[in-house]
Amino acid sequence: MDIDLLFKIAAIGILVAVLNQVLQRAGRDDQAMMTTLAGVVIVLSLVISEISELFTSVRTMFNL
Amino acid sequence: MDIIKIIGVGFISLIISVILKEYKREYVIYISIISGAIIIFLCFGKLKEIIDMLISIANKSGTNSYFILLLLKITGIAILSEYAVSICKDAGENAIASKIDLGGKILIISISIPIISKLLETITKIM
Repeated sequence: MDIDLLFKIAAIGILVAVLNQVLQRAGRDDQAMMTTLAGVVIVLSLVISEISELFTSVRTMFNL
Repeated sequence: MDIIKIIGVGFISLIISVILKEYKREYVIYISIISGAIIIFLCFGKLKEIIDMLISIANKSGTNSYFILLLLKITGIAILSEYAVSICKDAGENAIASKIDLGGKILIISISIPIISKLLETITKIM
């Protein structure tokens, strides 16, 4: 639960963007779409685990 | 000291989201969600102390602590719904933000029904 999560997401975002450019230049648009989807899936799994942690801790604290 | 950490996290996520805005627009939303979560986690320690102090005061003062628990529930719902509403507004989706707001308000009202009924009883007793 600290700052390196932000850097991880930023790194994945920039990596996917660069990969997209390279693949589009190389003419493989379908693989570019694949990398975008892979990036979205990875970042979503990170974000969802973080959000569930936040919601459970808020629930236990306010005994919602 | 904590305020510097909160401001630091805020500025770092601001810079990252500005950088990512040109390359990938959808990652800005992930950054805002994660930075919101980090900042809320940062000030959880202080929140815990406030809540424990409130509960101890309620127990000491003899009034049944049921209402304090309801108040805590309402503040919890308010914090979470405000968190989601501001993120949706940031992303430009005002319709979703207003629906979440509506849901939060309805839940808060439904929780505060016993308080309202108790208040009316005491008023009618007085008159």
